[in-house]
Amino acid sequence: MPDKKEEKGVLKEAKRALKETFYGMASHVVVRQMLKQRMLMENLFMLITLGDMLGLPILPPYYSLKLLPYALPNIKSWKRQLLQEKDVTDMLY
Amino acid sequence: MAVSLKEFLDNHPKLKVIVYAGKGGLGKTTASAATAYWYAKNGKKVLCFSTDPQASLTDIFERDLFGKGEQELQPNLFAVEIDGDKRIAEFQEHVRNQIKEMYKLDKLPEEIDEYIKTASSEPAMYESATYDAMAELLAEGKYDLYIFDMPPFGHGVRMISMATILDAWIDKMEEARRKAAELKEAEAVIRGGEIERRDAILEELRAIRAKLDLFRETLTNPETTAFFMVLIPEKMAILDTKRALEMFEKMGITLSGVIVNQVYPPSLLERDDLSEFLRNRIQMQQEYMKEIKKELGKYVRAIVPMFDREPKGFEMIAKVAEYLFEKPWEIGGI
Repeated sequence: MPDKKEEKGVLKEAKRALKETFYGMASHVVVRQMLKQRMLMENLFMLITLGDMLGLPILPPYYSLKLLPYALPNIKSWKRQLLQEKDVTDMLY
Repeated sequence: MAVSLKEFLDNHPKLKVIVYAGKGGLGKTTASAATAYWYAKNGKKVLCFSTDPQASLTDIFERDLFGKGEQELQPNLFAVEIDGDKRIAEFQEHVRNQIKEMYKLDKLPEEIDEYIKTASSEPAMYESATYDAMAELLAEGKYDLYIFDMPPFGHGVRMISMATILDAWIDKMEEARRKAAELKEAEAVIRGGEIERRDAILEELRAIRAKLDLFRETLTNPETTAFFMVLIPEKMAILDTKRALEMFEKMGITLSGVIVNQVYPPSLLERDDLSEFLRNRIQMQQEYMKEIKKELGKYVRAIVPMFDREPKGFEMIAKVAEYLFEKPWEIGGI
């Protein structure tokens, strides 16, 4: 009995490894591109809603505040990305 | 003869909103109160609404309404006077609590708290908050008719152009948001993760948008909204009304009419005991009445006299309503 269970575990592990390999070969680049594009989209969205945090008052403040609770988790990374200096290594990604 | 106020309103059975605009102190609040009173008396459920920080409805109805929410003054007659500052303070608290609840925090991050404070002290905050209050009331749809007593001119019209701009922005935001959500979904499909269907921000955005759309559609449709301006027979008021007329045209809004207020009955001129002071005033007014007739004649909907008392309290409001609706040409026709 314990043998069978172990066998199952090995099979499962092999299946997972195979899946990851295929993912790495076929779709990783696509997914990375998508993630990057999504990041840009989210940044744009944040800029429109909470632009006045950086001194760009775009949306009337009443509605900015209304959306603030939902946007909270993204604020830190958004500000970092928007205010960071760009350098040559950016082109590699 | 110009179309009277009553004829005009009878010809527009789909009317939802009546707006009174014009310079300060000429009688917008008086006209709003009288119109609300008249409709309520005729069986419609009416809300009289003001965002004026000077609490003008409180004065005319002789009851403390400022920041107290919707109050029934007489059967079918409701009034609300928004206290902008109070509303903003409550809204700030609401946002703070929402954040604490959503992220299980005891205390807000300092940066966020700071942002809430600065955003709330912007002048645009006051405007967008009162504006939202108006849109909210209209969206609730609890009343047959809404009467907006607009604060002096510029502000009132800006609200409509703001709706148009906001609408365009929300369009863009929705698009950016939707694309981001699509990408997230596609990624989840490829990687076999969980697809998140619900996007809270998008839902909130759509709610804001639906509210504003209804507001703008109602206000820019001449069948559902009537814009009236109140003026008195004096040079400055006439000039201001003419300017407003141009501005209305630029924004694609039709002016429904003007109400001439505070007119001394010209029949007084026939009296021998009339003082020099009053005689001069009446003659001046009559000169300007000619100008109004010539330049704004087709817009005049009623002429309301100068009363011997301040129009305050229901007795006087009823009297104003009588002149507005039942005998608009009593003291001079157009």
